[in-house]
Amino acid sequence: MDIRALVLVRTATEILEDSRPISPLPSALLEVVGKSPLQRTLDRLHRFGVQQVTVISDSILPSNPGDDRRDGTYLRSSREKFWRIAEAAFSDMAQEGAELVLLIALGGYAEVDFERLIQAHLDRQARVSQVFFENRPVEIFCISASRRNDAASLLRSRLARCRIEYPFFEHNGYFNPLNGGRDLRQFAIDILTLRTETPPSGVQVRPGVWMERGARLEKGARVLAPAFVGAFAKLRAHAVVTRCSSVEHHSQVDLGTVIENSTILPYCRIGAGLDVAHCVVGGEVLANLRRDVTVEIADSQLIGYAVTGTMERFVTSAAEFLSYLPKQAWRGVFGKTAPRQPDIQAALRQTSPVLGGAAGYEAPACDTGGAEKFSSSLAVVRRYGHQ
Amino acid sequence: MDTNSRPVVVKRMPERLNARTSREFLQDVQPFLITDRPQLVFDMSQVKQLDAAGVEMLLRCMSEAHKRDGDLKLAGISPDAAVVLELTRAERLFEIYETSTDAVRSFSGFLPNAMRQHLLHRKHSPAPAAA
Repeated sequence: MDIRALVLVRTATEILEDSRPISPLPSALLEVVGKSPLQRTLDRLHRFGVQQVTVISDSILPSNPGDDRRDGTYLRSSREKFWRIAEAAFSDMAQEGAELVLLIALGGYAEVDFERLIQAHLDRQARVSQVFFENRPVEIFCISASRRNDAASLLRSRLARCRIEYPFFEHNGYFNPLNGGRDLRQFAIDILTLRTETPPSGVQVRPGVWMERGARLEKGARVLAPAFVGAFAKLRAHAVVTRCSSVEHHSQVDLGTVIENSTILPYCRIGAGLDVAHCVVGGEVLANLRRDVTVEIADSQLIGYAVTGTMERFVTSAAEFLSYLPKQAWRGVFGKTAPRQPDIQAALRQTSPVLGGAAGYEAPACDTGGAEKFSSSLAVVRRYGHQ
Repeated sequence: MDTNSRPVVVKRMPERLNARTSREFLQDVQPFLITDRPQLVFDMSQVKQLDAAGVEMLLRCMSEAHKRDGDLKLAGISPDAAVVLELTRAERLFEIYETSTDAVRSFSGFLPNAMRQHLLHRKHSPAPAAA
């Protein structure tokens, strides 16, 4: 049986006017624990034997899905004529001999059992079937390819309605709506704790710790399971990545920074001596999930984009390489004793080095016993000393 | 505002605290910081943008106040500023209050009991009759 898939990735509907998006890309294209929901969906479709997949996106697709391109996967981008192109793609599939088309609109990520969906569709002799999750519709359809008019009415209404009544298929597996930072974070946790079918990308170097090729950990950096470090990501000395955190590809975490229960999206740079906890960081935007606030931080010393250009990376690496030996020789001849690296506990207690002259304040953990003595109007107790 | 014997200075911070505005703000508060045992409250309710230079300035002010046996407290922190303070590990160094009034009251709240009793007694005792 010739079964094909049409995957739709939209941006426009996702960005609300009053909210700051974490990334300009739609959530379906954001790489979480090594792969985007789109890549994971494509992997699953291929595993179910659906080889001919057409992906239509109204935003520029990142390079990785392109690298992942297999036979029969075509990527097209259009913003204005999105639905018309989708309709045309469906017609093309039908003309090329497809019998069934799986129409998947990637707003959320669902691990649907496509085999059961197709079987149920055929058993009911339906023209169109839609997936439901907990009595709510999911934008995943199974459409008989010969029913072009039904597909057209569905696509013209932007998947809101169809000209005929159609049966529902109850999905009991994994589903994440991917509506903003909180869902994105939950998605990373679910992948790292193996609640999803698709495992984390890369190699499991220790139980619960996944790393992709080219990931670099400097001396003293710690990765505590479960965690993920993406391709060419760099953790500098005394950086700590813990509690289901993921540092995506080409990101950098500077000296002594703690990444706790957070997702660092690709190409981000996190400054030195920071505490990134319960956050999703995308470039200059940080979504703090505990405070439920998204902040744009226009200070590259704190967070920002990592060096992305190949040329720029090459020049930086070459300069580092060439200056290494002269620097060591200079230190050997004129330098005093080698500066002692602070131990990890000391590094984590101090305020960030990016604070210039005010860096290095000791700030150990809170004296919770003493906190009861303070008045209820006190929002935060100062946590140094034992006052 | 005057609690107990020494005044508490409440200063409202600007909407953006970057390198330039921090320098200007520091110049503004400098006269209060160099007094004996300064008691300051920075009202951060209007702060929408805070960067590393802003946090550095706050820590500098706190350090200056401590040098002269005084204190600096923060009040009404906006969520945006709170996120940056938490990120830079500076939030655990300050006493942070919901409102400036709470912060001002807290300066009298931590007086030794004997001194507080003395002040209360002085406040409520009738004025001595003129001879």
